[in-house]
Amino acid sequence: MKAKRYLALTRAGIIEEMQFRASFLIMVVGNLLYLIVVYFLWKAIYASAGTDVVSGMTFNDTMIYLVLATALFNFLDLYTVWQIGRDIQTGKIVLDLLKPMEYRKYLFWSYSGSFVTHFFLTFVPTFIVVAVVTHGAIPLGINILYFMISVVMAISINYSIDFFVGTICLYTESIWGINIMKQVIVLLLSGATIPIAFFPEPLKSIVYYLPFQSIYNAPLSLLLDSSPSAEKVLTTLGMQLFWCVAMLIISKVFWKASLRQITVNGG
Amino acid sequence: MAAIIEIKNITKEFKVLNRREGLKGSLKDLFSRNYKTVRAVDSVSMSIEQGEIVGYLGPNGAGKSTTIKMMTGVLEPTSGEILVNGCVPYKNRTKNAQNIGVVFGQRSQLWWALPLIESFKLLKDIYQIPDADYEGMLQLYRSLVDIEPLLHKPVRQMSLGQRTLSDILAAFLHNPKIVFLDEPTIGLDVSMKAKIRTLIHALNKEKKTTVILTTHDMGDVDALCRRIVIIDHGKMLYDNDIEHLKSFFGSYRTLKVRADGELAKQTEAIQKEFPEFSVSADEEEEWISVLVDEEKQKVLDVLAQLQKTHRIRDMQLEEISTEEVIKKIYEEGVR
Repeated sequence: MKAKRYLALTRAGIIEEMQFRASFLIMVVGNLLYLIVVYFLWKAIYASAGTDVVSGMTFNDTMIYLVLATALFNFLDLYTVWQIGRDIQTGKIVLDLLKPMEYRKYLFWSYSGSFVTHFFLTFVPTFIVVAVVTHGAIPLGINILYFMISVVMAISINYSIDFFVGTICLYTESIWGINIMKQVIVLLLSGATIPIAFFPEPLKSIVYYLPFQSIYNAPLSLLLDSSPSAEKVLTTLGMQLFWCVAMLIISKVFWKASLRQITVNGG
Repeated sequence: MAAIIEIKNITKEFKVLNRREGLKGSLKDLFSRNYKTVRAVDSVSMSIEQGEIVGYLGPNGAGKSTTIKMMTGVLEPTSGEILVNGCVPYKNRTKNAQNIGVVFGQRSQLWWALPLIESFKLLKDIYQIPDADYEGMLQLYRSLVDIEPLLHKPVRQMSLGQRTLSDILAAFLHNPKIVFLDEPTIGLDVSMKAKIRTLIHALNKEKKTTVILTTHDMGDVDALCRRIVIIDHGKMLYDNDIEHLKSFFGSYRTLKVRADGELAKQTEAIQKEFPEFSVSADEEEEWISVLVDEEKQKVLDVLAQLQKTHRIRDMQLEEISTEEVIKKIYEEGVR
């Protein structure tokens, strides 16, 4: 049973996460502070715009979108790049490479426990709070199903990108700059910090053809649309599927080609 | 019997950037293409059989870990052939991983936040160990060491000794054909070292596991290895029985004397008298040791000569220890 070994890693990840209760509390508080900043920032933007609707979104739409984007970020971004970089720098990567499993898969499934815990402990509560506070601004129907499918693909695309960036560490043996750059690019171009609706026209169409919008914009736009057209659902999910496969292949090939580079520090 | 590890003339070269000094130098380095090639392992060959415990020795930076990383498949040799358990490790790393276990004394493969038993269960699933084998192994562990108190303790709360012990147990858990132990007793106290040596010895006996042991502690070597391989500057210096090694230096004996007068001065005087032997002083116990090569001069003659020039209060005679042999080899090589 191959699946059993993956689920065993998921299980261990969940138990491991539960050991650090305080970090959840800190994360919730940190998010709250971030959201307060976001709230006032956008309040000021709408006030200075002088109209209720900016780029086709009301203040409420924007806030719902950004709150959910932050919640999504909390379970999507698991600092994979840091982990790979640190393992390369300390040489711990050798131990993981010597597991009878592909490293890419091993790492992913080691993280899967965190995906599960963070999903239930941060995303779901945020979702419920938003749904209650906004009195049904989030539609509850078939869109939830689309959203779930979309999120699974978003996890995969995000992981592939992280893994790709992590692989660069094999060459540079340094992570900080590369990771910051990756984070800024992903957060901006994915629509996690500013809804893509606000982007100027040429940028909007460029972003549409990049993989990043599949991570945050795609699942959120499916979630917040009560009656999406079949065409929208299919193109959004289709686009995601394409990037899912493409990024998987790219990151896999890059890793394989780079592994020869490895020198492994220490000892 | 067929060899489980077969290495023929493997060489590993690394490209290293020539770094310059200072701030200006490091700025220039940003654009430098000035690489030099470092040969970490230089045409090493060896053949190891199932069930052997081989001590793999060499000073720091000799190329030991690089060789081990090639045997495990993490590194690809620049040239040469390597076969572990019938397959080429770097081409079949994940397959090879199923047959080997590793312990790096400075790092742990255990799950930091989890109790040891959870790590074991995880390894059971990862290596797909059948239930019966897993239970059998735990049974064996119970008979060898007192693991009950460790099983439910999170790894991060363990002492270094407990953690190393756990790491060794984890490495043997899937009953691999070969286990690589890289400085397993580093930083441990005497009793823990003894415990770990007994454990390794017992597991090797019980499961016929081949063990490749790198260490700087000659106590480990004396307790466990019959065969040793010595490497320095990437080149193999020695590959044979430990007894044979001693016979290399069989004509050497250490003469220890206590003489009247100031220790440092006396040591210097004795060294002047016997320039061909190495003389050292043990400050704490006030011994002056003379490493005598009996092919050149008999120990008793040396003693007689010393008694003429110095007032000798006490003396001791010691056979050369593995530690001293190794030290001599690191310093001078095998003649």
